[in-house]
Amino acid sequence: MLIHQYATPKAPKRIVVVGAGGFVGATILRAFAAVGPPPIGLTRREVDLLAPDGSNALKARLAPDDAVVFVSAIAPAKTVAQLMANLRMAEAACAAFAYVMPAHLLYISSDAIYADDANPVTEYSPVEPSTMHGMMHAAREMMFRAEYRGPLAFLRPTLIYGADDPHSGYGPNRFRRQAAKGEPITIFGDGEERRDHVVVEDVARLAVRILYHRSAGALNAASGVATSFRDVANIVAAQFVPRAEIKSVPRPGPRPHLAHRFFDITGLHKIFPDFHFEPLAEGLARVHWQALQARSVESP
Amino acid sequence: MTTSPRIAYAGMTHLGLCSAVAAASKGFSTLCFDPDAALVARLNDGDLPIVEPGVEELLHENRLRIGFSSDRAQLADCDVIYVAPDVPTDDAAQSDITGLDLLLDDVRRNVSPDAVMVVLSQVPPGFTRARQQPGQQVLYQVETLVFGRAMERAIAPERIIVGCPDPSEPLPESLGAFLGSFECPILPMRFESAELTKVAINCCLVASISVANTLAELCERIGGDWGEIAPALKLDKRIGDYAYLTPGLGIAGGNLERDLATVIKLSKEFGTDCGVIQAFGANSAHRKDWVLRKLHETVLDGAVSATVGILGLAYKENTHSVKNSPSLALIRYLAPWPIRVFDPIIPGDVVNHPNVTAATSAIDAARDVDALAIMTPWPEFRRLRCRDLAAIMRGRVVLDPYHALDSVAARAAGLDYRTLGVS
Repeated sequence: MLIHQYATPKAPKRIVVVGAGGFVGATILRAFAAVGPPPIGLTRREVDLLAPDGSNALKARLAPDDAVVFVSAIAPAKTVAQLMANLRMAEAACAAFAYVMPAHLLYISSDAIYADDANPVTEYSPVEPSTMHGMMHAAREMMFRAEYRGPLAFLRPTLIYGADDPHSGYGPNRFRRQAAKGEPITIFGDGEERRDHVVVEDVARLAVRILYHRSAGALNAASGVATSFRDVANIVAAQFVPRAEIKSVPRPGPRPHLAHRFFDITGLHKIFPDFHFEPLAEGLARVHWQALQARSVESP
Repeated sequence: MTTSPRIAYAGMTHLGLCSAVAAASKGFSTLCFDPDAALVARLNDGDLPIVEPGVEELLHENRLRIGFSSDRAQLADCDVIYVAPDVPTDDAAQSDITGLDLLLDDVRRNVSPDAVMVVLSQVPPGFTRARQQPGQQVLYQVETLVFGRAMERAIAPERIIVGCPDPSEPLPESLGAFLGSFECPILPMRFESAELTKVAINCCLVASISVANTLAELCERIGGDWGEIAPALKLDKRIGDYAYLTPGLGIAGGNLERDLATVIKLSKEFGTDCGVIQAFGANSAHRKDWVLRKLHETVLDGAVSATVGILGLAYKENTHSVKNSPSLALIRYLAPWPIRVFDPIIPGDVVNHPNVTAATSAIDAARDVDALAIMTPWPEFRRLRCRDLAAIMRGRVVLDPYHALDSVAARAAGLDYRTLGVS
């Protein structure tokens, strides 16, 4: 659970987002820019953590008063090579932080670190990843915990969706893209598995709060509402005219090990009592509208 | 022993005071000793530091047999001396036995050589044997005090469990004579067994509560009603009529948590499995926040402004204690919203909240609130009329974990009524 060092929010002297070129990192960068002085965004162009001088490059851009959000990752990590690359990136970051220790560090982790059967998931659930991606985040958390001595926070989002998400993982993003192309939305089996979905802007708002309170500890970014993939598909389908078709396809394998995932978000209610997630239907509607706007700009 | 033994209780907190009054009610001359002279003066004036049904009346009825004193010399005239201060716990449910040890040492130095000392406080296994000294008898007796029912249980215990050095030996005559007056089974056993019996009783109670809470939550999701299920369980002789099957906001009050913590600590020390005990604790922590979750689900999630009414601040009805109060625990997390509070005994100024109004009555606490939470089921809250609440509240949500109100009447009054164990 998080503990605030600042009971009253206070803007950090300078904010650095490492991994600002990605979907989540860019949204976090925009969220900080919207509420305070312009943050520093570092993308792979400025700092390539896999390059031989990656650590030095990051070190050169840090100052001891910085509050750092580390969101840089090759995600999802599905292979051993991707796992190891992600760990090397974290290793380079740890080396940089050892030289210039930021005043506060927030690592954007994932709910994939938790055991599959941890329902309802809380910040106290066992860390027992079953995937390469979960193991990557769990290992990175441990690396930062071991090497960084300042106030350290972990934000662990569940499934994130948003207009700019480059991934097409099973869920809202894929469904929207399928429907936009005039294809049927495909769900596996009856699509009955229930998951928690959060819009990327909410993850960014939480990151802002954590840095402004200089919080330490862990917090899940989950809405507390689990929705079946079929229901998500129905919401997305209804956004299109004519309504998109939903097609059930056989599962590529046995039903996933993680049939349902529920979150108990009492921890969030306690630490940020007035924080509210955008309801899924509203978030999906807004993302749909953003996508339409983007398309109209692309093809005037 | 030809004459009736004189009994003493050292430590005039909840346990010692209630137990002493019960001893006097059995006809024994009873000394109530506490080193705190100010407390003793207060007790002599009839000003009790506790709220407990029946204690004042019984004290009044037996006043001639009870003496309050801070004079240690009077302990020398007593045959059985109970050392019975309440043992405080910290936030991690760990006992602080410093005060008990100090008092025990104090008593030791002032009793007669043939007196029997009995530790009645909540102690961890191993405590009593470690405090044996040559030439003095220190025994242990399990207390089963329940806040709000302390007198009833002190006067008519189901059984008396005594920890002693050798359970095959008869109890000291004075102690035997005193305990015999309670007319219930007396179970002598070795120290460690007696100390662990106390822990075992509480673990069994917690197991029942945890079952009730776990399945009550399921009822809330799948359309069941735990109120229909629990009576069926109680008719099962293996479970029993008195089983703790009422769902609640986890386990509270400190003593049950203390015993869970004791088992976990001992298990870690001796390498035994305590997974189930840890699960009880996790379930309790989860259920404690039921009202907070429901408030967010029903009113607070997305609300720009909302006022919450809170009925009850005491840890439970018929007590003055706010330690482990579910109400105060809830209020900690309601800082962004104005609240109105009322408790029949606890003044509103105990509440630490940036925007709290201390209401003058239960109905006043419900005035213009968007949601009302009944956090302590005081008898007077049970008498509230739902239509009066509906008329004075701005919103409709009533969260009543302890089922103080009539759910049918509440729904008939148009309230969005939620209680534990019902969907």
